[in-house]
Amino acid sequence: MTKTLTLEGDLGTVDARTAITTQGSVVAPSLVTPAAAKKIDRIVCACAPDGLAVGSGVFFLRLGGSAVQRGEQTIMVSSAGVIAVQAGSDAAPNVNFPIIIENADIDVSGGDTIAVSAEMAGSDLGTGHIVVTLIFA
Amino acid sequence: MTKQYRSREGEATAVDTKTQLTTLGSETAPGPLLVPAGMTKLAAAIVAASANYAAATGSSGLVRLEGPGLPAGPEVLAATAEGSNVATGGAHTSRAVIIPLDVPVTTSQEILIFGEMVGTDVGQMSFGVTLVFSS
Repeated sequence: MTKTLTLEGDLGTVDARTAITTQGSVVAPSLVTPAAAKKIDRIVCACAPDGLAVGSGVFFLRLGGSAVQRGEQTIMVSSAGVIAVQAGSDAAPNVNFPIIIENADIDVSGGDTIAVSAEMAGSDLGTGHIVVTLIFA
Repeated sequence: MTKQYRSREGEATAVDTKTQLTTLGSETAPGPLLVPAGMTKLAAAIVAASANYAAATGSSGLVRLEGPGLPAGPEVLAATAEGSNVATGGAHTSRAVIIPLDVPVTTSQEILIFGEMVGTDVGQMSFGVTLVFSS
């Protein structure tokens, strides 16, 4: 049986670790892994910037906390580029469909706290918006 | 099977120039990327790459893996291909890609990761690479 944990947040500063702790209307979801969990089996994650600054950069996850048995794992999830900030009808949206990592096989301990954070690296592209689902097994 | 994920990122700002990826966001000096203890192979690479299109042209990007952690020698991976016909506006976002591999590694030895913008110079290309090790 699998169990999910979905978290989301905003990355407002480049090269800054940002804890991802909310879930929309649920402002403080539990960060405790399911009691029977032995590993993170899959990861689903999407991240895109608003493009309010120019440059190119990447976005990555950090999975840590006492539940992750072999220490913090870092995982690239997306990248983006902005030529020039646009306004009005010329503006192009940034859309990022999620990456799905099957058989992630990250060892965790059940009933322990997981810490999920993320970063924008490279150029500051405005604010990055990230949503991630961890699927425990 | 257990997996471990190790990442680096950086920017290539000159065309046809090998650029080592040495940072990880807020970690400006994370040190050498060593093959974790107990890991026997590189099972995949997760690659994210995007350009800023400061020049109206096109380019592709590749990732090079080198170093004593790879006993069978270096590997080179396709990362991205991009182009823009103007340098005055536009934006894009790309999800990272998972490249399955089966490459032997040497525990506790270093793997060097390089990004390279190839073709024509689009300005700047950002690379993020995660190495997925397995036992």
